[in-house]
Amino acid sequence: MIPIASSSRVYTSAQSNTLRPYLNAVRSTLTAALTLENFSSQVVERHNYPEVEAGNSQETLLQPLLISRNESERVLIEPSINSIRLSICIKQADEIERILCKKFTRFMTMRAEGFVILRRKAIPGYDISFLITNFHSETMLKHKLVDFIIQFMEDVDKEISEMKLSLNARARIVAESYLVTVSQVFHNPSNHTSSVVRKTDLEHER
Amino acid sequence: MDGAFRKINIDLLEEDVLLPSDLYDPDPRGVEGVLADAKNRSGEVRGLVSKGDIASALNVILTDCPYGEDVDEAKDITTSALLLILNSTRSTDISNLVKGLSGDHQDRLMAYLYKGMANLGEKSEISGSVLLSWHEKLTEVAGVGCIVRVMTDRRIV
Repeated sequence: MIPIASSSRVYTSAQSNTLRPYLNAVRSTLTAALTLENFSSQVVERHNYPEVEAGNSQETLLQPLLISRNESERVLIEPSINSIRLSICIKQADEIERILCKKFTRFMTMRAEGFVILRRKAIPGYDISFLITNFHSETMLKHKLVDFIIQFMEDVDKEISEMKLSLNARARIVAESYLVTVSQVFHNPSNHTSSVVRKTDLEHER
Repeated sequence: MDGAFRKINIDLLEEDVLLPSDLYDPDPRGVEGVLADAKNRSGEVRGLVSKGDIASALNVILTDCPYGEDVDEAKDITTSALLLILNSTRSTDISNLVKGLSGDHQDRLMAYLYKGMANLGEKSEISGSVLLSWHEKLTEVAGVGCIVRVMTDRRIV
């Protein structure tokens, strides 16, 4: 048994106070769930399904575990004998974040082939899902897989808040430059820009 | 032609079909016994918590927890009593409390922590950060194996 404290990346107190235990909980739960082995289907001969997706036999499914920081941020880990499914609900505080999150996850899931462990469709109620099978955990290093998921969770929040900031900044610049032109039209009709605006307006009406 | 019969899962009609109740032994106390026991323990825990004796309150509530089907009321009583304990503990005491528990009790506590996180919502009695700090301390003491035992345990609390 490896104590959590000695794992390669432990979150320091520099991070916000609830993010660190949240990510640590996801890390330890994911490490525990990633004990996978090859397991052929019990229903169809010579087939090998991810049992968590097929759901054909009770005994191969383990208890799903939910880790939540608050109502809007949660991770569902559904383990089974040969595969686990990890679904993330990303924080969405307002309409802009909701749209950004939707676009971002759509971008990712459309390229799911390139991400190997990404599920093509998130399960209902969550924004993005990963499906890790025993073949993935055999060909890739387990602790690197865990690191990747944690890194993803950190980055996706950062990415979305950065996009939101730049979107707001851009909207402000656009609005300012537009409104400056418009106010010039009203205050100074003989101005050159206003005559351009009028001309184009007239053309448009014709 | 009607093809609805093709959708019938014939494996469920077989004799050797596996039911959820086959995966664990039922509680010998019976449904009423479990409920009465849960009520007793919950009352005892409230007394102990008001006296400030968190360690024995934890020991009381984590012994013979209700599990399985048909005991939802007993489960709710036990869960809310346990959340009361978690809420009324200072964060500096958690490590020592967790170290004092037996292995079995640690696994049960972990199961209840996950249950608490799954039920976080408007009407929940506890905040996520409390559960997460308990989870962190418990994992430090009991290790990843504790989580594996929660996952594989069919006696769902």
